[in-house]
Amino acid sequence: MAEPSRRFFEDIEVGEEYESPGRTVTEADIVIFAGLSGDYNVLHTDAEFMKSSIFGERIAHGLLGLAIQAGLFTRAGQPYATLAFLGLRWKFRGPIKIGDTIRVHGKVSAKKETDKRDRGVVTVERRVLNQRGEVVQEGETDLLVERRAG
Amino acid sequence: MAEPARFYFEDVVLHGVLETPAMTVTEAHVALYAGLSHDLPVEPGAVPEILPLCLTVGLGWRVPQPPLAVLAFMGFEWNALAPVRVGDTIHSRSRTAMKRAMREGGVVIEERQVINQRGEVVHEGKFTFLVAKRPAG
Repeated sequence: MAEPSRRFFEDIEVGEEYESPGRTVTEADIVIFAGLSGDYNVLHTDAEFMKSSIFGERIAHGLLGLAIQAGLFTRAGQPYATLAFLGLRWKFRGPIKIGDTIRVHGKVSAKKETDKRDRGVVTVERRVLNQRGEVVQEGETDLLVERRAG
Repeated sequence: MAEPARFYFEDVVLHGVLETPAMTVTEAHVALYAGLSHDLPVEPGAVPEILPLCLTVGLGWRVPQPPLAVLAFMGFEWNALAPVRVGDTIHSRSRTAMKRAMREGGVVIEERQVINQRGEVVHEGKFTFLVAKRPAG
């Protein structure tokens, strides 16, 4: 089977934008994430306690939202020839509640050469939006992307 | 019933260091994480960089200190300095870099490192939390 074609450092242009499909965040997502991460904070696991909180109900872990947007981003267009994820700067703007549908909007904000000739750094600004178009998370991610051989 | 103990803004010690127990990152962790998020490993044996970050949060609950009374996780920066591979055993070390009282609660900046079985710092970053003040009375 042919590999899906991947986009190399040279193929990516500053200013390119992407829009991912949506994904509805469910109670099951939160339960699985609590089990995987070991983060059983009452914010995410105690429905009764959360009734009296400012949110009125359980909310998703911030890092669950981050993980889901990472997966959505890979479905937002032709994949990059990513070698590694280098880092990110991230803000949590609002809660993701059970039943919310989130999507990610990405825009290439910078490209940087590195000392190594076979790779470069691509910075993508990302906004995670809910079904009302409210930004719930946003930030920048730095990806190490392969250059075309030769 | 007594309220569970919580670590409030007033309890946070500037420059205080916490070291968590360690855990081995397995193929099962990667499979669960990839199935949940669709953030897939780049090759067999690789660990998506966001997964160790998620695991440090749970490790942070396994220290001899009540959980921080977090009102909001405001944001963070994170750098992956070296890869984590399946089979690596990681733990985390954190240090309070800054605390500033606000009208409602206070802001706490924590530096956090992920360290592997060889003592190498593989990931590191800074977290910003809004933490509750101790309730009056």
